[in-house]
Amino acid sequence: MRYTAKAMLLSGSALLSAGLLSLAPSASAMAQEAIFVMPARDVGAPSYNPILGTRLNAATTLIFDRMVIQDADQSFHGQLATSWETSADGLTWTFKLRPNVKFHDGEPFNAATIVWWLPKFLGTENAFMTDAIDKVDVIDNLTVKFTMKNPDPNMLFNMASSFMGIPSPKSFDQLGDKFGVTGAVGTGPFKLESFVVGQQTVLVRNEAYNSASDLSVNQGPAKLKKITLREIAEDSTAFLELKTGGVDMLLSVPTDFLPRLSSEKGTKVVTLPGTEVYYVAINTSVEPFTDIKVREAMAFAINQKEILASLFGGVGEEAHTFLISGLAEAKVDPKLLIAYDPARSRKALDEAGWVMSSDGVRAKAGTRLQVKLWTQSGTEFKRITEVVQAQLKAVGIGTDITAFDAATITAQYRKKTEHQLAVRVYSWANADILDWFFAGKRAGHPNHSMWVNATSEALNEKAMKGSRTWDERVANFRAYHENLLSQFVFAPIYQPVQNFAYSQARITMPATVRGTRLQSQTIVDIEKK
Amino acid sequence: MVKSSSLRTILLSPRGGISAIVLLVVMICAVFAPLIAPYAYDIQSLRDANLNPSWKNWMGTDEFGRDLLSRMIYGARTSLSVALTAISISVAIGMSLGATAAYFGGAFDRLVTAAVDLTWSFPEILIALILIAIIGPGLNSTMIAISIAYLAQFTRLTRVQIMALKSETYVEATRSLGAGHAHIIFRHLLPNALTPVIVAGMLATGDAIILEATLGFFGLGAQPPTPSWGAMMSSGTAQIFIAPWIIIFPGLAIAITVIAINLFGDAVIDVLDIRRQLRDS
Amino acid sequence: MANFLIKRLVLLIPVFLVVSVIIFMIIHLVPGDPIDNIVQIGSTPQQKAALTAKYGLDKPLIVQYAIWFGKLMTGDLGEAIILRQPVSSLIAQNLPHSLILGSLALAFSTVVGIATGALAAIRRDSWVDRTVMAVILLGSTVPSFWLGLLMILVFAVHLGWFPVSGARSWSALVLPVLTIGLGGVALVARVTRVAMMDISRRDFVMMLHAKGVPPWRINLQHILRHALLPVVTILSLRIGWILGGAVTIEYVFARPGLGSLLITSLNQRDYPVVQGCLLMLAIAVMLGTLLGDVVQALIDPRVRERTG
Repeated sequence: MRYTAKAMLLSGSALLSAGLLSLAPSASAMAQEAIFVMPARDVGAPSYNPILGTRLNAATTLIFDRMVIQDADQSFHGQLATSWETSADGLTWTFKLRPNVKFHDGEPFNAATIVWWLPKFLGTENAFMTDAIDKVDVIDNLTVKFTMKNPDPNMLFNMASSFMGIPSPKSFDQLGDKFGVTGAVGTGPFKLESFVVGQQTVLVRNEAYNSASDLSVNQGPAKLKKITLREIAEDSTAFLELKTGGVDMLLSVPTDFLPRLSSEKGTKVVTLPGTEVYYVAINTSVEPFTDIKVREAMAFAINQKEILASLFGGVGEEAHTFLISGLAEAKVDPKLLIAYDPARSRKALDEAGWVMSSDGVRAKAGTRLQVKLWTQSGTEFKRITEVVQAQLKAVGIGTDITAFDAATITAQYRKKTEHQLAVRVYSWANADILDWFFAGKRAGHPNHSMWVNATSEALNEKAMKGSRTWDERVANFRAYHENLLSQFVFAPIYQPVQNFAYSQARITMPATVRGTRLQSQTIVDIEKK
Repeated sequence: MVKSSSLRTILLSPRGGISAIVLLVVMICAVFAPLIAPYAYDIQSLRDANLNPSWKNWMGTDEFGRDLLSRMIYGARTSLSVALTAISISVAIGMSLGATAAYFGGAFDRLVTAAVDLTWSFPEILIALILIAIIGPGLNSTMIAISIAYLAQFTRLTRVQIMALKSETYVEATRSLGAGHAHIIFRHLLPNALTPVIVAGMLATGDAIILEATLGFFGLGAQPPTPSWGAMMSSGTAQIFIAPWIIIFPGLAIAITVIAINLFGDAVIDVLDIRRQLRDS
Repeated sequence: MANFLIKRLVLLIPVFLVVSVIIFMIIHLVPGDPIDNIVQIGSTPQQKAALTAKYGLDKPLIVQYAIWFGKLMTGDLGEAIILRQPVSSLIAQNLPHSLILGSLALAFSTVVGIATGALAAIRRDSWVDRTVMAVILLGSTVPSFWLGLLMILVFAVHLGWFPVSGARSWSALVLPVLTIGLGGVALVARVTRVAMMDISRRDFVMMLHAKGVPPWRINLQHILRHALLPVVTILSLRIGWILGGAVTIEYVFARPGLGSLLITSLNQRDYPVVQGCLLMLAIAVMLGTLLGDVVQALIDPRVRERTG
């Protein structure tokens, strides 16, 4: 889902926003009450407002249900919708809604809710997900029809996003700006009891829950009565909490912790396919990276294999494109894959006229090939960046590292010409992320590559708006992706897996995790021992 | 200021002598790092990451397979130079500010005193964190932030010294002979107030090393691959279970250096008998 | 005494005004602004301008300051831009944690510091003195985050006596209190020791000895009592530390607190929160200094005459 992507784009500091906790009486030992630790990246997410929020944390899907959710095999399953169909031309969608569903505040959920809900996205940052929907009509109390501006093959994927959690219209309008801060009301398996940003969220079971999807074994209220989700910024601290029994589960574990966790008795680590890609954004609008040869040299100097093996113990995958490898759009022409090739890198630099000097940094006409390499605070960022620095040095590109906090780095990106190279990560399981990071209209931030090019824009437009079927969309995005790869506007590094860890002594986890992440469909089945 | 006989007394006392030797060793490491360090500080060898201490790598290796001893030696250079530069700047500015405020008195003095009173009791770490947010992370910013964080201390100390000296007759005499303000402040007043300020500066250098380490812990100080003791501990935190020595050695280095600075400072204070001047400020 | 207090309080008013200006200007010097964190990505400059205007950030700084200060006078600290809550409620969530941690750490360092300092002074130049002072010196010369991490490793992980992090129970306070407290012990002990040694050389002490008063009584009743003055002065100046200086420890132990709130908000450029936190700290520092003076005046009437 996109929340971690946004987390990287817009988050407050990952390092300094220390995980905070309130002085509440300890409740860990009580029956069916569990303590989870949120992913460090979610620390400081300011609200549970799915419509206006740009950062939503891992508890969001427990409070709000969505129309549909997606399983690990990419199939879609109804949650608040029970069935749906689309017309042959893709210009209408009809959704049947689940009957007898009530929001936590007692308000009914029905077709009127959807009619109220979708227009709320207009003018918000999340608007692009509902962009293709022209209007919503009520067919009957439990049936709605969407009329589309243009076919959107990505419709169900968008509907399954965390941002598509449906809030109670009454509470939403009542609380206004404060919705998601002082209160958050959905139809989900848990009600928000308290939320102190940066510290913890306490959720209590929704006893009337009846909108579980067929992905959950448990069709009624959740097994756990109460979940406390703590925010801890430092991964080592969270790990020690799990080890010493202070918490029951870590919703995210950095990959470099895996060797240590697997040797811990009673701790079970579960690995899911990743949705993140680490890469270096190359500012194509400033010297020396206006020269495609230098960009090529930079991209081919990165040794993905070495990083995977030595920093992450072989867990995860090498990244050779911008997209996660599971997507069809990532299956590009093998000639265009960006994979470590130091000879090609050196040759490109030679051709561009950069000559090796005695200090190991190339130079051209008295200018040294010394560039800025930006990164963000956080252990994984810093480790990857230091190795990238050494790898670039090996081909004669000198770099100066600066680690920024998230707000500062965003402000710097917006200046457009301050940055040269930046190590970044995004999390998103759809090819439309290419539009997000490389569309000319977003140059600066989040188009950190400052890529503004007519051919690319045309390919982007075609992929975003001109695809009628899923297959067409795949072909169009693949073409756009190949175009970007051929221009070396970024350098791919590493694709991590998602890990979470729990105490086997204290928690019974269902045999399989349903969905692409650990979300409500699986969590309702978790039981305390 | 410190006469050679006093210096001898300091060096011959047990704590003065031992701490002087320790400080000398650390300073030699800092100055001659390239000659002493067995390896380069920035050459990675990922295959040899997180090795235990051994004959080849006396302190083991870090997460990138770099020799920790070499990084410790270069780290001494970074940490000491940051602390010393920052404190020197701070002492220089603090003395000028404190001396002029005390000498001229009036509204300027009241302004300086108010500012000093307020920032003096403000946590240095917060001052430094806010300043670095303004000027951006890096070694130079760290130096500036530290020097400003300690400015109040030296301003205050100098001001008190000068206040006491100002009324003495020789100042009046010089003034009546037609000497300028600058001449009186810099030739007559400051030299007499120098000793306690220098000693306080020496002691503050120890605190500055710790502050640099704390900023490094937050990732705001030296940027990679430059080693500083604080930055080394910052990356060591994540490795604390598999390679605890990465964080333990720099921590010990800081502790030993700062203890030595404190002991030496104490010895100086005792020999020169200036404890009262330092405390009264 | 009342006269003295009033005079000191009146003197604080101009200081407070200047401080409020400085606090306001400082945060606006930091590059970036909160709008960067909430504005839609890819939105037009007009949309950003509208948002900037909504929060009043388009007005000249002096006007913004006037508005902020005006509200401040009515007790309104404003509304957080990123966190969308009244600043006062954010401070109310965090301040108690800082106060509890800080005052316990202060109490620990005062009691232990005075005791060890007195012990070292009484047994001056003996092995007791040297050992005590060496241990104390060690405690104050290691970075606090390092000490905190080692404490977690030893007492929370290996021995399992205390929780690793958080503020969910009183036992979670032990390690952070010890970590901060140990640093303070050194300071208090050194001041106590030196002050006691100074006073023991004074004439009235010699006289007491000559009169045949038992040494323990001289030490405790006369010397220690006089030595408390510099200790109290030092402690009152540490009030700022109590509230804001624990930010490193708050981070290591994942605890809430004013320092953490300040730094988090600083990173998000949440102006109203940063201003609110800094103001709280500044007021605490001013009151701490005042408190120190008052206590000094109570103990030593000469101070009152000098200032009054």
